[in-house]
Amino acid sequence: MSGQLIIHDLWIGSIVLQVALALALLATRAWRNFPAFAAYIFFCLFEAGITYALFENKKAYFCAFWICEAIGIVLGLAVVREIFTKVFSPHPALRKLATIIFRVAVIALVLLACAVIYVQSASATGLVNAVLLAAEAARLVEVGLIMFLFLSSSVFGLHWRQNVFGIALGLGMFAAVDLITVTLIGHMGSTTQLAFKLVRGISFSTSLLIWLGYLLVPERATSSGELPKKAQLEQWNQAVTELINR
Amino acid sequence: MITVIVIALALCAVVLFYMAVRSRRKQAVQSLRPVDLTAFHTLLDRDDELFIKEKLPRSKFVHIKRHRIRVAARYVARIASNASTVLHESERARLSPTPEVASTAEQVMELAGQIRVQCMVAIFKLSLEYAMPSLQLTPAMLVPKYQSLRENVRRLGDLQTQNAVPLANAI
Repeated sequence: MSGQLIIHDLWIGSIVLQVALALALLATRAWRNFPAFAAYIFFCLFEAGITYALFENKKAYFCAFWICEAIGIVLGLAVVREIFTKVFSPHPALRKLATIIFRVAVIALVLLACAVIYVQSASATGLVNAVLLAAEAARLVEVGLIMFLFLSSSVFGLHWRQNVFGIALGLGMFAAVDLITVTLIGHMGSTTQLAFKLVRGISFSTSLLIWLGYLLVPERATSSGELPKKAQLEQWNQAVTELINR
Repeated sequence: MITVIVIALALCAVVLFYMAVRSRRKQAVQSLRPVDLTAFHTLLDRDDELFIKEKLPRSKFVHIKRHRIRVAARYVARIASNASTVLHESERARLSPTPEVASTAEQVMELAGQIRVQCMVAIFKLSLEYAMPSLQLTPAMLVPKYQSLRENVRRLGDLQTQNAVPLANAI
């Protein structure tokens, strides 16, 4: 089977998965809780339809693909914002501090993205390379913000609800792999483009499966069962007392 | 160079997501560990520290102080972990149809959130003290805040008929 054929099959497969995810969002009414994520998924479906229809017309396909990619990245950032709100809204004590750090992270990532554009703009000749560079900068901000979300919730010891975690994980995995591909594709020859397209297709399909899985599988109940043994506590206290009296 | 940085960042992100999935699985069974606040308070007692400083030679004092900081840091980590568990447990109570339970759960979550932030500050202060043992940066607010958390969790347990009383006893 040729590479082009595999990519085509992956494309069809991802459209089927996107339809399934859209139906799952509607059936579970998750779109009410996650309007930005629902908009992102419906837009991806729309993008897949448009680009599939325009595939034979290379110029129209190029324009449609990159315009849709730009809108997709903006919607992806809206999803990140939505996840941030979902994770921190029940915790007013942490929200204020987290918002400040989030804003600092946004500024730092935008500056890093500007640095990437500035350093690489000299070698990025032609429209395709310029578009790839812009995509790289945008994905960099997206990946950085999702990393911030995971790190900050870990530092603050927050528990993610299953579907919120799934949305962040799927988006993060796809954005990270896409960041690697758009960064490398500009530096490699056209022979490797097929491989990058394949990797991108696989990562997007994997993210769709992650989203479907986390949306449809019911949340597991957690238990705080392990109550301490008194003997352990006494041992610990004795050790500390000895240390203090030493 | 910048390309390497970007690729490294993307790879770090992938590793981070993998670790998040792993730690989420581990979180499914959370463990609470008790904190002896009296012992912790004694560890942070500055008069005690001054006494040791006066009585011992500097090298011995530095050694003992660093030892105390290591133990204190373990206490802080334990407090932070318990606060995180309380945050998670209270989230369900916050959605209770009984207004009193919901408002108490909200108070508990607020306190637990504050404690998490203070634990971060405390770890930072302890790290500084570890590097420079002559410094005295007591994480003084942590003990009364944690005591207050315990009381609120106990109150929440009294309001609920479920398992919040053992939770209060466990922390």
